[in-house]
Amino acid sequence: MAERRLAGLFGALAFAGALLAGAIEVQAARERAYPAPEVPGGEDAVYITSGTAVRRLTGAYNALAADIYWIRAIQYYGGARRRLAGSPAGPAPPPGLAAVEPKEFGQLYTLLDITTSLDPAFTIAYRFGAVFLGEAYPAGAGRVDLAVKLLEKGIAARPDKWEYMEDAGFVYYWYAHDLRQAAAWFDKAAAVPGAPVWLKALAATTLVRGGDRQSSRTMWAAILQSSEIPWLRSTAERSLMQLRALDEMEAIQSRLDAFARQTGTPLDDWTGVVRARVFPGTPVDPGGTPYELTRDGQVRLSQSSKLFPLPVEPERSAASR
Amino acid sequence: MKATAAIAINVFRESVRDKVLYNLVLFAILMIGASYILGQLTAGQDVKIIKDLGLSAMSVFGLFIAVFIGIGLVSKEVERRSVYSLLPKPIHRYQLVLGKYAGLALTLFVNMTIMTLAFYAVLFYTAWGIDPVVQRAWDAPALDPALLKAVGLILIELLLVTAIALFFSTFSTPILSAAMAFGLFIVGHFSTDLRNFDQVVDSPAAIRLARGLYWVLPNLGQFDVKTQVVHGQPVPAGYVALTAGYAALYTAMLLTLAVVVFSRRDFK
Amino acid sequence: MSAALATFDLTKDYSIGFWRKRPYRALDRLTLEVRQGEVFGFLGPNGAGKTTTMKLLMQLVFPTGGRAEILGRPLGDLAVKRRIGYLPENPYFYDYLTAEELLMYFGALFGYDAADRRRRAGRLLDQLGIAGERRLQLRKFSKGMLQRVGIAQALLNDPDVVIFDEPMSGLDPLGRRDVRALILGLRDRGCTVFFSSHVLSDAEALCSRVAILARGRLVASGGLDEMLAFEASGWELVVAMARGTPSVGPGIRRIVPIGGGRYSLELPLDPPPERLLGELAAAGAKLISLNPIRPTLEDLFVEQVTSQAAQAGRL
Repeated sequence: MAERRLAGLFGALAFAGALLAGAIEVQAARERAYPAPEVPGGEDAVYITSGTAVRRLTGAYNALAADIYWIRAIQYYGGARRRLAGSPAGPAPPPGLAAVEPKEFGQLYTLLDITTSLDPAFTIAYRFGAVFLGEAYPAGAGRVDLAVKLLEKGIAARPDKWEYMEDAGFVYYWYAHDLRQAAAWFDKAAAVPGAPVWLKALAATTLVRGGDRQSSRTMWAAILQSSEIPWLRSTAERSLMQLRALDEMEAIQSRLDAFARQTGTPLDDWTGVVRARVFPGTPVDPGGTPYELTRDGQVRLSQSSKLFPLPVEPERSAASR
Repeated sequence: MKATAAIAINVFRESVRDKVLYNLVLFAILMIGASYILGQLTAGQDVKIIKDLGLSAMSVFGLFIAVFIGIGLVSKEVERRSVYSLLPKPIHRYQLVLGKYAGLALTLFVNMTIMTLAFYAVLFYTAWGIDPVVQRAWDAPALDPALLKAVGLILIELLLVTAIALFFSTFSTPILSAAMAFGLFIVGHFSTDLRNFDQVVDSPAAIRLARGLYWVLPNLGQFDVKTQVVHGQPVPAGYVALTAGYAALYTAMLLTLAVVVFSRRDFK
Repeated sequence: MSAALATFDLTKDYSIGFWRKRPYRALDRLTLEVRQGEVFGFLGPNGAGKTTTMKLLMQLVFPTGGRAEILGRPLGDLAVKRRIGYLPENPYFYDYLTAEELLMYFGALFGYDAADRRRRAGRLLDQLGIAGERRLQLRKFSKGMLQRVGIAQALLNDPDVVIFDEPMSGLDPLGRRDVRALILGLRDRGCTVFFSSHVLSDAEALCSRVAILARGRLVASGGLDEMLAFEASGWELVVAMARGTPSVGPGIRRIVPIGGGRYSLELPLDPPPERLLGELAAAGAKLISLNPIRPTLEDLFVEQVTSQAAQAGRL
């Protein structure tokens, strides 16, 4: 009698499991047939855009509301990136377009603004937020002005946070290629009591040496050291590898050019180069993917490399200005 | 079958006598009041706002009915010991569970139907006398039949939530059941966010867990087509069909589990 | 003919305590048989396991061991459920329904059509004396009235077997008398009545057989005559004397004056009372009544239960 009841139990549970599996199948089918509708600006409309209004509404639960908005901001950012994952990584939209909100990321600043209004001491919201906002489209919003605005808000709330000022300098350096502003912010950061000593040097370097690779390297190394946030650290690691790739490519190129001058023929194939003992083997980038050699003897990063695309260096933009 | 129906009708009768349907009065007051005030303030936008307000109110009121009655469906019988005279009758235990569910479903259906009629009445009144040229410029007509799709999906969502509440009711106290039902409701609406985890989280284990939860937890966001309908964007019949199918299967699963739990309980 | 009710080593353990410490045995290997057509009394103190037994029979709880049958079929058989009626202890129904509505609702569960339900409901409400309150909501009913409603719903389907858990509880003496008459009426119709009670005099008046339960164990069962078949412990002689008092001979244990010249004499079994009767008659006493003194069910009950408790204490 008990065995029969037990068998009945298993049968019923198996039936329930089958129903759940069926439900999941139907949902998957629906998602295939009707992908989430692309409402401009993101799935959720942010009805109340004023930080102070939300602050008043959530009353005693400000901190919790801040967490919820922060999670929304991350989801929003992640969702936008996911949708853009297909599109190629183009250059940042030209300055004229920066005034116009791109189709994605439109609500990002609002969400971050509300988050930081609800909890002005929410460090991660400022620092990550600045990166989300500053990253070139389509990896981010490509809005340096908003990134800096956010950080300035953080500084207004906590003037002792030299990290925000350093971040502002970084944003100007890396995303806006504005060396003067970057240096000015590094200086401000250095002036805060308790700030690390190398900030002053960084300010100086930035101004004098301009956008050379070494300052970039120093800055990323600083982020790598100072940040406890794994995501930020891995971004720093990747950027450092990209810089190394740039170094390596220059070195490889010079050897190739020298060899070409010696033999008089341009090189378009690694096998020939390797046979000629110019390199011990096909050169590989720090990410582990072999470099490519174009028909006219130029070395470049493979499109399938993890480090692709390489960053546009500030000094080249400065030169073009 | 007749026994199940009798139980269902009894649930409906209890809801009515518990004055649940008075929420309709509140709904009517809300809609009429809003339409009057908005009529004074804006011109043209009031139809859209009334649509938003009406659909949201239907959803919220329905949610409260579904949860607060749902959590008591079984637990009240047990707590009040009326189950002692009910179960010895020639019925299977599963008939009790299904009958209770059907009764609350009926209550919700009646509630929503009356609300929908009131809703259309208010929309009719609001759009009355507005120049047809202006009306044509709107995203969607005032008495848009597509609104029924939104209402229908709201009802289907509520039927799923009812099943959740009923499931908890078979073994848990009302307070715990309410907490869990509301909790699942909130999680169910944020489940799409679980999807986007892989963009911002590094750990593959966390991503897999998030994905797993995304599929298993009830995905309630898909029933929300309010924005589309109000903006006049099409909601394909296939979408409605697949979403309803999902709800049917998930609800069936919950009812199966509820029957399993209820059938094995000792009523001390 | 199969028994109306039969249990075979029926056992129920409950897990007590949050972390399932020790199981509590509410019913220990009960083996019992109730024959069709008889009125069977199920007796025992509180917590003895009577309600547990009935709940097991109704499949409100599931046995840990053993099994049971109703009308020869295993528990839970729906066809059998159509032929039985159950009154739970301290019945409670639905506040918001009226008495009539409740009976109509339960009638629908039996599958009766509307006219049939109404007829049955009306008949039972009359029979239980609550016809006047048919339109009153149950939340306004007193305990006694609820008890009557409970009995009514148990009889809705003209059952062949009824199982009443404390049917007299909450009733005043008039109500008790009515229920007694009802039970006898059921018996006369051929219905089997299995009921539990504290009120031993009711059991004495109604039952042909009883079982006594204590601490989950069956302590005694059998026909009333057998169980009370302890020999009479003495005689009670009631005489009337015009003058004087009966002489207290060596044989008389006690003399209790009743008043009006009457006396109750308690005599031992031995010597037989006839001789004393002759003496008293010669002295001018008139015989009113002579009855054997037997232990009542009460005495039996108390004796069994205390011996059970003593056994448990010794263990």
